[in-house]
Amino acid sequence: MNSSPTNYAMVRRLILKDWYLNRWMIIGSVPAGLASLAIILTGKQVAFLISIILLCMVIIGVGAQLAMATTINERKEQTLAFIMSLPVSWREYTAAKILANLIIFLIPWLAITAGALGILLLPGATHGLIPFTAIMAVEMLVTTCLIIAAGVITESQAWLTVAILCSSLGLNVLGYVFAHTHGISPQMWGTSVHWTATACTILLAEFLAAALVLAFTFFVQSRKTDFL
Amino acid sequence: MNDVCVRLEGVSKRYPHFLLDNISLDLPVGSILGFIGANGAGKSTTIRILMGLVRQDSGSVQVLGHAMPAEQTAAKLDIGYVSEDMRLYGAATLAWHMNFVASIYPQWNQSYADTLVRRFDLKPQQKIKGLSHGQRVKAALLLALAREPRLLILDEPTTGLDPVARREVLAELMAVLADEHRTILFSSHNTLDVEQISDRIAFIDRGRIIALEEKEDLLDRWRRVRLVVPPTAVLPQLPGIVEVGGTERLPVLTTNRFDPAVVSLCQDRGATVQSVDSMTLEEIFVANVQSRRELQPA
Repeated sequence: MNSSPTNYAMVRRLILKDWYLNRWMIIGSVPAGLASLAIILTGKQVAFLISIILLCMVIIGVGAQLAMATTINERKEQTLAFIMSLPVSWREYTAAKILANLIIFLIPWLAITAGALGILLLPGATHGLIPFTAIMAVEMLVTTCLIIAAGVITESQAWLTVAILCSSLGLNVLGYVFAHTHGISPQMWGTSVHWTATACTILLAEFLAAALVLAFTFFVQSRKTDFL
Repeated sequence: MNDVCVRLEGVSKRYPHFLLDNISLDLPVGSILGFIGANGAGKSTTIRILMGLVRQDSGSVQVLGHAMPAEQTAAKLDIGYVSEDMRLYGAATLAWHMNFVASIYPQWNQSYADTLVRRFDLKPQQKIKGLSHGQRVKAALLLALAREPRLLILDEPTTGLDPVARREVLAELMAVLADEHRTILFSSHNTLDVEQISDRIAFIDRGRIIALEEKEDLLDRWRRVRLVVPPTAVLPQLPGIVEVGGTERLPVLTTNRFDPAVVSLCQDRGATVQSVDSMTLEEIFVANVQSRRELQPA
């Protein structure tokens, strides 16, 4: 729907705009995530599980809330007309939405993931959990990409809710499957890190899935004819 | 750049329950077009196509020399757009919005923006969610005007405004009209507002343009003729009669091709012409729409 080259300065402005409007939610999520991590320090297996559940809630919650605020609310609160009245093409709008959501999400995600891996690297910690933790962290990134895609493509609260539910369910199911996968399960509770071929393949597949979801979002957006 | 700011040729857009049908429209540079239609007539769809926000199924759209929607980003650099259903970010202040828009438009005029802040009695540090509806419309108008666009598209900007706010908005628009190189498309179902500021008028109904001409020509052509017809008199066939109201003895004729000769023609046939009344834009619009709907029921 637009033949002009991408205006990267405009994309940057739109990303900064979304950051400005959602900054308190993001800043607030980091201490919440780190507090969840602190539970692990008690050293008990139950505490680890509780901590993982809380971390998942914080990370998925941030991704979902962000997608809701930047895509669904933009249409619901009729600010989309204001943005689209500016010299913005669908390509710039889509790129800005995806990048804004990803970049802003990556702030708490990186902080919490680094914190989790850092704790697991402490002397005496269950180092064997590191591959599984990394896989689950990247899985949450994929899940967030799915939620972002649903928000950008559908701009519908109902569809976004479906995406959030499916993603949460999928995360639990995949977590269970990965935890019982032959290449991961035997080493999980050991004291040394084993980056098995299975673990590496799963990680690679997750990154590929995230890239495919985002590429699909661009493809669908490019075929849209109406933006208001 | 030629002298046409906006050109739509044979533009159509089909939705499940609505068809924008073969719209053709030229808007010369410096003209002010009042775009009048009932709710759901196709005003907003036409404007969204003009803005490149909706792609037409067929036909071509040129805005400021740019093909739409393909070149919408270049075109929108010179367009100020305010729509009744446009909202600003509630959590941000007006000052933030001004900085945001100023960072995008190199031609942003800060001193004019400051003038409008004072004239509209706005507070830059106030969050948008704390503004009244009238203040929000004025804020949106400020953001559109201070970028000094060559084309100003206003889609129902005065809808829902109280009389004071409406007057302030219209007064500012009148001031903007002093720039003869600025083209304005003003859409509304409030014909009073349109009549005040427009020099050309387009009526749209059920997705079709049913009239497009200079405002003065339109107002000159339409008249309401009140007659007294005695039982023995027989009225002649008069040109351009779109509506016959009143009673058999006291008919009220609405014509869209008024000619002073009609008066003497009626008198020659024994009728008495009580009055020949000018019509307001609203009366003309309603008579036009009703007569066409009678001829072409939905």
